[in-house]
Amino acid sequence: MATDKLGEFELLVLLSILRQGDEPFANRVRDDLEEHAHRRVTRGALYRTLDRLADKGFLRWSLDTAEVPERGGHPVRRLEVTEAGLAAVRRSRDVLTSFLRGLDPLLDAPS
Amino acid sequence: MSPPGASPPPHPPGPARRLLERLVAGDPAGPSILGDLHEDFVRVARRRGGFAARWWYRREVVALALDRGAAASSSLLRRNGPVHDMLFRPGWMQDARVGLRRFRREPGFALLLVLVIGLGVGATTAVYSVLRPLLIAPLPFEHPERLVWVENDGDRASLSSVTSRTSNLRDFRASSRSFDGVTGYFAFFEQSSYALSGDGPPEELVGVGVADDFFDVLGVTPVLGRDFTPEEGAWNGPPAVMLTHRLFTHRFEADPDIVGRTITLNGRGWEVVGVLPPSFDFSSVFKPGVPVDILVPFAISDETDRWGNTLSIVGRLRDDASVESAQADLDALLSGIAEAQPDRWGLAARVSPLRDYVSGAFRPVLFLLAGAAGTVILLVCVNVANVLLARSPRRSREIAVRRALGATRGQVVRQQLVESVMLATAGGGVGVLIATLVSRGVARTSGVDIPLLSSVQVEGSALVIALMSALVTGVAVGILPALRAADGSESGTLRSGGRGSSHGKGTRGLLEGLVVAEVAIACVLLLAGGLFLRSFQQVLEVDLGFEPEGALAWTLNPGGAFESVTEEADFYREVSRQLSDLPGVESVGLIDALPLGKNRSWMVRADHQLPSDPPSEIFPHLADPGYRAAMRIPLVEGRDLAWTDTDETDPVVLLNESAAAALFPGENAVGRDVMLGSNAWRVVGVVADVRHVGPERPAGLQVYFPITQLWDYGTLDLVVRSDRAAAEVADAVSATLSGLDASMPTRQVTPLPASVDRIVSPRRFALRILSAFGVVALVLVALGIYGVLSHSVSERRKEIAIRMAVGATAESVRRSLVLRTAVLALAGLVIGLAVGLVGTRTVESLLFGVAPTDPLTLVGLTGLLLGVSLLSGTVPAVRASRTNSARVLKE
Repeated sequence: MATDKLGEFELLVLLSILRQGDEPFANRVRDDLEEHAHRRVTRGALYRTLDRLADKGFLRWSLDTAEVPERGGHPVRRLEVTEAGLAAVRRSRDVLTSFLRGLDPLLDAPS
Repeated sequence: MSPPGASPPPHPPGPARRLLERLVAGDPAGPSILGDLHEDFVRVARRRGGFAARWWYRREVVALALDRGAAASSSLLRRNGPVHDMLFRPGWMQDARVGLRRFRREPGFALLLVLVIGLGVGATTAVYSVLRPLLIAPLPFEHPERLVWVENDGDRASLSSVTSRTSNLRDFRASSRSFDGVTGYFAFFEQSSYALSGDGPPEELVGVGVADDFFDVLGVTPVLGRDFTPEEGAWNGPPAVMLTHRLFTHRFEADPDIVGRTITLNGRGWEVVGVLPPSFDFSSVFKPGVPVDILVPFAISDETDRWGNTLSIVGRLRDDASVESAQADLDALLSGIAEAQPDRWGLAARVSPLRDYVSGAFRPVLFLLAGAAGTVILLVCVNVANVLLARSPRRSREIAVRRALGATRGQVVRQQLVESVMLATAGGGVGVLIATLVSRGVARTSGVDIPLLSSVQVEGSALVIALMSALVTGVAVGILPALRAADGSESGTLRSGGRGSSHGKGTRGLLEGLVVAEVAIACVLLLAGGLFLRSFQQVLEVDLGFEPEGALAWTLNPGGAFESVTEEADFYREVSRQLSDLPGVESVGLIDALPLGKNRSWMVRADHQLPSDPPSEIFPHLADPGYRAAMRIPLVEGRDLAWTDTDETDPVVLLNESAAAALFPGENAVGRDVMLGSNAWRVVGVVADVRHVGPERPAGLQVYFPITQLWDYGTLDLVVRSDRAAAEVADAVSATLSGLDASMPTRQVTPLPASVDRIVSPRRFALRILSAFGVVALVLVALGIYGVLSHSVSERRKEIAIRMAVGATAESVRRSLVLRTAVLALAGLVIGLAVGLVGTRTVESLLFGVAPTDPLTLVGLTGLLLGVSLLSGTVPAVRASRTNSARVLKE
């Protein structure tokens, strides 16, 4: 059962999964968040968030056989954002957009 | 094994990987988590090397374990209300606030306890940090648990007795079934050096010859460049050199373009093929105290086999092999070879784990230090418990009020425990600070012959040790006073007019018991320290057979190639002549290996022995005629070597007294012959014994060959004796040497006393730590006795006042208190000595020239502890004797 609450980090994780295209894997998501969201993401925090998003119904995952030898023969977790997850992301986007409307001059002014 | 030049596939460390498997066992996504970490591990290994990657992997697993543990506990607590309430109800915070208020009221008392606990925690953590690289942490190689040391079966004091021929290594590689790889390095690398010229001032480098698969077998990958190729490892192969990270940064300013360039060593061009990772420190593991700069290929070939025992061999066991099976395998292999090749000599192999070889010799002393650190923390616990217990009457009224208002016994105990744990935690912080400072000092110590000292640091596991010892100390010191405080009869205390009750007989007995325990523990510690100090004195008093004071040493490595041995001898004679003419220079000598440094051994026979008789093992020294006088080695009989002993005159030698007595027992050795192979060398003189290996080893048999008749040396050590200042002499000598050969490095000068210091450095190192512990122990004993007696006096003011009112003199009051102190100290001494004398039997092997029952140590220790005890007891006793009985009785 999907609850519609989405925390900031949860939103970033869902967005990052969507950004990964053909490779929606946990390691890619972690690298993406560290590189582009400029935050230190511990492995434990990421895995807990993925489990929580799955519990909320925003995320599905499946284990696929890894094609690369670097994974030591271990499978890879393919992450997929569900319809409910997409809807939650849209809601968050709409709230942010409406709150940001009209603030561009203020935010873009040189500090 | 991977082919030479390729790096082995990295594997995450087994224990950490198994922990992770257990950690994610119940998680449906577990297998993918294992894969995630493996993938990142490979990435880190490619970027930073296998060693760093394995530590990274361990840290990741620990972080994940802590994260999962925290998540599990918080969900468990949420499901278990009562436990949650007990841990998180306001009472704890309230207790902590009360504690903080108390410490603010009595900052001196709190600070003292924090410092005392800090000393204990610091001692434990520092010693653990020193022990860790040697005894606990894995060696900095790939799967170090599978690396073994394969040595010849002789005496470890003589390098030739424990090294092997290169033919042995080739046979091990070809026929042994126990190894994934077997490799080796040229053990006598200190006999020669490499003069680096061009790119700045000439510099003397220490280089080690290694088999071309050396790094492959150890699992070390260069951070830049590549490994040696088999062609480079062949006899007369292309000259290639691998830089240590230290040289790469110091000399070449970490310029990655150095790889592939050619540098000039000993006047010849060598290609820099790679740079080793900073984690690989050859000398730290294999040759402590000798900083290695470069590694070069050493040929495992027929040519090097003719040099005899030269190799130190390291093997990597196969997964299904053990040290025992490898030993059996090599024994069978060697006996087969001995049968097939009856003339083959040097066939022996002793297999042991590489870690045992690296740290084995230091284990006893490290365990002694660990025991000492444990004793210090025990002393700290007793001391702090004593102080807290002594102060308990002051708190009894406050506790009585709390009990009367409904506080349970448990709450009272908890309050006291929270306070002591707070103090201990603060002490833990101070301890970590102390340990960090000590560890940094130790890691920067140079010239100490203890392996892996540079790796000493306070890291994660040491912090855990510090935290644990702080918490255990907190609980240990808090529990006794807490229980006694909670047992107090509150009604009696409340009626006693607010001054707090005095100690009952039981508590006083307990306090005095703790003082006895402190003296006993300190006695054990000081006994070990005292015996070690006496051993050290004995070592320093050993007559080395030469005089280090006033002598400076250089290693000479002429850059020019000599056309003939005569030309080389003439060059050195000119060196000796010009240096002897310098103002203030008393004498100049040359030798292939100065005492207390390098050594090798050869086999000789006396002229009366048959070729079938077993030969005698000797230390060969190749010296010039000035050496004996420059070192002040007494000439016992006969004559010295002379420049007139040349390749055109009869070969001559000097023997030391031990060699003369062993080779020609009961006869005069002068005029007799010593056989080296089939060549006879005439003995022309006998000189005093020199402790070549170290002051704790016998001199052994020594034979001095003239450098004018035997040229079996790579470089020569120069010794110059002068009564002038070292810097002045060094400058003059350097200038003269540069005038003789501009490309010869001349700046690296070693005062001979520094060599003595290095050889006794492990003992000095341990002694320093033990001395520090001893001082801490004495301070704690003094504090303990002073604290207990002070409290006892203030508690018994009324009793003392009454005694003085009915006629007791100040003198008798003082005497009775000092006597009480003496009784307690003596009781502690008797117990401590009994325990200590049993304990020191276990470290008897570490003592030199003293017995565990050394009377001087026992008398000194007894005097010291009694003195400190009586001094600590005298101040409160004097204060008690000044009691104004009239005023006290009116109170």
